[in-house]
Amino acid sequence: MSRLLLSIVLVGFVLLSLYPFAWMFFSSFKTNQEIYLPTQLLPEEFDGQAYRMLLDGKFIDFAGSLWQSTFIATAQAFLATLVSAMAGFVLARYSFRTKAFLIGASLLIILIPRQALVVPVFEWFHWLGWTNNSFSLVLCGIATGLGVVFFMQSFKRLPVELMEVSRLEGFNPLRIFLLVIPLFAPSLVTYFLLHFALCWQEHLLALLLLDDNAHTLPLALAKLSDVSHRAPESIGMAAATLSFIPIVCLFALFFSKMRTALAQLSLN
Amino acid sequence: MKGLPQESLSRLFPLVFPFLALWFFFWVVPLFLGVDLALQNPGSGLVSSNNAKIEYAGLENFERIISDPKFHRALFNTLHYVLGSVICIIPLAFVLAVGLFEMPRLYRGILSFCLLIPGLALPGAMSKLFYLFFHGREGALNQYLIIPLGLDPINWMMDPDFIMTSLVMQSVWRWTGVVALFFLCALEGIPNWHFEVAKLEGMKSLSRMRLILVPGVRNLALFAGVFLIVDGVASFSGAYTLLGGSGGILDSGLLLVTYVYQVAFPGGSGRFDLPGATAMSLLVAPMVAGFLFLILRLNFLQTRS
Repeated sequence: MSRLLLSIVLVGFVLLSLYPFAWMFFSSFKTNQEIYLPTQLLPEEFDGQAYRMLLDGKFIDFAGSLWQSTFIATAQAFLATLVSAMAGFVLARYSFRTKAFLIGASLLIILIPRQALVVPVFEWFHWLGWTNNSFSLVLCGIATGLGVVFFMQSFKRLPVELMEVSRLEGFNPLRIFLLVIPLFAPSLVTYFLLHFALCWQEHLLALLLLDDNAHTLPLALAKLSDVSHRAPESIGMAAATLSFIPIVCLFALFFSKMRTALAQLSLN
Repeated sequence: MKGLPQESLSRLFPLVFPFLALWFFFWVVPLFLGVDLALQNPGSGLVSSNNAKIEYAGLENFERIISDPKFHRALFNTLHYVLGSVICIIPLAFVLAVGLFEMPRLYRGILSFCLLIPGLALPGAMSKLFYLFFHGREGALNQYLIIPLGLDPINWMMDPDFIMTSLVMQSVWRWTGVVALFFLCALEGIPNWHFEVAKLEGMKSLSRMRLILVPGVRNLALFAGVFLIVDGVASFSGAYTLLGGSGGILDSGLLLVTYVYQVAFPGGSGRFDLPGATAMSLLVAPMVAGFLFLILRLNFLQTRS
């Protein structure tokens, strides 16, 4: 009985989470008048006019934003995975003098996130002359506390005996790291995806560090929904749909890997 | 940490250096710059503009911010937003995760992926969507729920009394599935013999939940709570897109980060009050960090004893 109830709640919630996306997709074909009647799901007729207008760049440079976002998120997630994996490996599998300090540093980044320091970050980049540059946006998100803690937990599964043997063989830590890293592919992929998703959504830092002709997707969407543009609502919905598809495909592709890594993570 | 090989720092250096360098460059330096900036006189403008003479004003900025009613409003709203989301999300996600756990494996994957999807969407795009979906008398929630119940339709997105509720609902909709997925993975990680013992003991489902399932997700629940609090305090995109950068009517939807942004970069007026904005974030960040640290510390002591 309680199982039935649970299943009903579950299916209800799944429908609740999917329905707005269906509405979003169909709304990209609607006229403004139809969109203002939210209980209507399907449009009168399907024509891809909104997508054409969007990609033609009549209101915003959507293709440019998509490329910009993809580049920033990919580069940042890749570097963050690498840097965090190295630090996490050392923290999980060695004991050394300043270990507590390093763990403290990574916890502090989680507790006081970059968004809280956004004004001084802006000042600092302004002083360095690095504003209006997508590389600065990539760089300032690489050091993440979340990543270090994630990999610290992941690498705890590595047997201590293996470390001992490699030490007797005279391998240095970097070499051991390179040897074991392929074993942790699911963890690497998982963290890459999580960081990619967080970076894909980053709005505030992008707003401050990028100039007007190099928008990322959140900025482009905010600009599009600005009333002064008078863009039809269907274009906003089309932009939302297109910005949503790449990341869902990416997650769908690696979803089972991700679940493996997360299940192993929580064992510790 | 007994049994781990001792290693000298110099040999570990290549592995740790990138993290340390980036940490220093993009976190420590801005932090100290921020402290310095917060003590300056607001008139001095951007540091890089050459004509600016930097004057220090002591703690004046902090005093100004503390007595600012808009800051109180933003603080209160953010607290409302964060607590509302955490209190709704964690229990709901637990129920969903248990529901998923009871399902056959085939459906588990598909359903959990569906639950993850809202977490992937851009918050800005979602606010826009929710605005169109819910606003006005014709909005979906009014049509499906409020009017059939015989209540007056609510203007969810504009009414000052309900704007925070709709922001919390948005956050619940976004994060519950993600947290449920994490919980599900934790439940799958519980060794099978726990359940076999429970069966042999003839445990009722309620005590099974209390003794096996809840401890199984405990650590992850804590982690999710910390993540949600930090994300909630730093949330910006949704409210920014929804309210066009303002705080909404009577600042009813003003969140902290939005207010920091408003103070630092006021649209059009050109008076950048960077010191005031920095003082504000420096006032709040340690409070949040200290609170979270206390939670983690308490949990650590509890698990030890």
